Amino acid sequence: MLGLAKGLKYTLKNLTREKVTYDYPNKPLPLPDRFRGIQKFYPEKCIVCNQCAQICPTDCINLTGKKHPDPAKKGKIIDTYDINFEICILCDLCTEVCPTEAIIMTNNFELAEYSRDMLFKNLEWLDENDENIRQVNKA
Amino acid sequence: MIEELLQSSPGWANFGIFFLLGAVLLLIVLGFVTYGILAERKVMGYMQLRHGPNQVGGKWGLLQTVADVLKLLLKEDIIPKAADRPLFIIAPVIAFAPSFMVLATMPFTDKFQFADIGVGLLYYIAVSGLTTFGMLLGGWASNNKYALLGGMRAAAQMISYEIPLVMSVLGVILLTGSLNLNEIVAKQEHGWFILLQPIGFIVFFIASIAELNRTPFDLPESENELVAGYHVEYSGFRWAFFMLAEYVYLFAMSALITVVFLGGWLPPLAILGFIPGAVWFALKFSVVVFVYIWLRSTFPRFRADRLMEFGWKVLLPVALANIFLTALIKSLFF
Amino acid sequence: MIRTEEMILNVGPQHPSTHGVFRLVVKIDGEVITEAKPVIGYLHRGTEKLAEDLQYTQIIPYTDRMDYLSSMTNNYVICHAVETMMGIEVPERADFLRVIAMELNRVASHLVAWGTYILDLGATSPFIYAFRDREMIINMLNELSGARLTFNYMRVGGVKWDAPEGWIEKVRDFVPYMREQLQGYHNLVSGNEIFLDRVKGIGTYTREDAINYSLSGPNLRCTGVKWDLRKNEPYSIYNRFDFDVPVAESGDAFARYHLRLSEIEESLKILEQAVEQFPAEGQILAKVPKIIKAPKGEAYVRIESPRGEIGCYIASDGKKEPYRLKFRRPSFYNLQILPKLLKGENIANMIAILGAIDIVLGEVDG
Repeated sequence: MLGLAKGLKYTLKNLTREKVTYDYPNKPLPLPDRFRGIQKFYPEKCIVCNQCAQICPTDCINLTGKKHPDPAKKGKIIDTYDINFEICILCDLCTEVCPTEAIIMTNNFELAEYSRDMLFKNLEWLDENDENIRQVNKA
Repeated sequence: MIEELLQSSPGWANFGIFFLLGAVLLLIVLGFVTYGILAERKVMGYMQLRHGPNQVGGKWGLLQTVADVLKLLLKEDIIPKAADRPLFIIAPVIAFAPSFMVLATMPFTDKFQFADIGVGLLYYIAVSGLTTFGMLLGGWASNNKYALLGGMRAAAQMISYEIPLVMSVLGVILLTGSLNLNEIVAKQEHGWFILLQPIGFIVFFIASIAELNRTPFDLPESENELVAGYHVEYSGFRWAFFMLAEYVYLFAMSALITVVFLGGWLPPLAILGFIPGAVWFALKFSVVVFVYIWLRSTFPRFRADRLMEFGWKVLLPVALANIFLTALIKSLFF
Repeated sequence: MIRTEEMILNVGPQHPSTHGVFRLVVKIDGEVITEAKPVIGYLHRGTEKLAEDLQYTQIIPYTDRMDYLSSMTNNYVICHAVETMMGIEVPERADFLRVIAMELNRVASHLVAWGTYILDLGATSPFIYAFRDREMIINMLNELSGARLTFNYMRVGGVKWDAPEGWIEKVRDFVPYMREQLQGYHNLVSGNEIFLDRVKGIGTYTREDAINYSLSGPNLRCTGVKWDLRKNEPYSIYNRFDFDVPVAESGDAFARYHLRLSEIEESLKILEQAVEQFPAEGQILAKVPKIIKAPKGEAYVRIESPRGEIGCYIASDGKKEPYRLKFRRPSFYNLQILPKLLKGENIANMIAILGAIDIVLGEVDG
């Protein structure tokens, strides 16, 4: 009987304790800077080195480059850049290998969509995703 | 007023008045159920460091249950193909009807009572036993193995705990010399039966939790083992009827405990008599409901076989000993 | 004569108490189980096969998803295996960060085990208290690694991130807080007579059974075998810390329940010492080649995860992908004793026994 009484005392005490839940959809969740959310892409920084597409464990990045419009300059610029968020696991490896920090993580994580097709994010979308960008990207 | 109506010759006017009164009581009970569920969710929420419903109906979620009931009303009514259709349909009704019937004898105050019958306590216990049929039938008619197990458990549990429930209250009946609930309350003017019959009260309270199918005795619908027990196949309003029966019983059982052990509408001290009886009743009633919720948010569930052992080997002998002791005390000192 | 017949009850794959998509086909006589057959594989993703086409760094996020309640230990076991093959010396600071992360994760994992176990037994509140405290750990690990569950924190040769500003202090403050909460847990549940009645003497097996069935973790230690790889085969820097390996003798569900809570205490001890000894500065990543290629050969390493002994076998032919990768997933092995334990028990005990084994389906199915 003592055990039962102890338990009852514990729950009664908690009745007036401060609540620990977040008021989530009304207030944004407090997230640390390092949080890995949907990527932000800077097309101007990209050198089309393909490292992100190669390191991606789920093969969700597809990119193509084109020749630099200025014939004096060498190298390529990015043409299309797609991330398939149906299979992206937000593992951070693409940002880790990127030599120019052209792709970085943000704190945005709300990916719910009405259709699976809408999870296919292209270059424009990823470029516009410029809120809550992660400040520190390399350890 | 009720007495006069009961004595007068039958007629349509009488029927109409009774029907109206019944409807009013039903609305009161539904009101309690609405806010009883909300209170349960709120109290459990606060005990579990969360807020509970706080979206529908303002900060306190006052319309949450209303919204839930509306949702249940709008849900598709699903009857499994292999179910026993007539029984499946009638089972929730059988479960619910007795829960409302028992309220007829409940004296909420000295004036507010529908039927002041001589064997009120017996009537309550006898009628409340009928609900088990609803659960057993519902469980059997669903043609689902989990539901069947739940229904069997419900029947076994009810039978086992009805007996200590009756036995524990016999002490009170011995002291009062009546089964009439009004007389039981009147007898408590100088001391509540919770003080005169502490053992009887404890046994009664434990057995009542089992009767109500609430944690720690919620085996018939234990969601972790039997998914939802006897009402696993029910949805929509049929399911709501099972839930309604459960909460109306919570109402009825809390009222019964208030009447039999906590002195009903009588004030705890004579000098507090200026506060109306209805307030006292409501206060005591709320405390009982709170304790039920409190127990629910603290305890794990019993195991089926231990539950039976506990009922037959512990509660029943204790209740019998209590009767013996009461009889001894009554014959020696009163 | 009453005709009785046995019936076959499908518990799961969608059932509230199977902790995931686990199916158990039980033959019951009334409420008594005469035969139980676990059916697994609903969550099989073929991690081991997929890994044969992945570079070593790419495998790490996949291991997060095996035992998703303790991703840190999974991260560690694959990194440890590759480091062993390549002979990489991990910097001290990285080792400390790894140990702190793993022990925090162990506490979080045991808290889930504790909370859900009591939830299985029908009490709702302890679950939420456990998740409140787990949330604090998850938030700390989120600050450290950037994810709440699938951390992907460790790399071959070290860790990805250094501890953020003030993080070590947070861990330091967490230890006494958690100790206090543990006392509360004991008050709330451990002495509860209804609870004791449900778990004492349930699901008992002997030391021989445990060893024969290759059980590990609390499932092994509950029979009195003092076997913890952190002590017996110290890896990382565990030999620097002073902690006990709690064991119980009775081998029942209550012993396993109690061991998990005791292990939280021991983990807190390790955390306390690790935070004290935490080096002020240092590298967090050893010098590793850009493309990690394990040398030709094979290696097997094993460490102590919250659920038991998790092992990783790598056979390499010198390429950047493993030739064959095999995980010894403790939940899978621990589950194998279930049919034996369930025979002759009733339905309510079935849940109590399954919960006490504490499986994670992501790990069982691989």
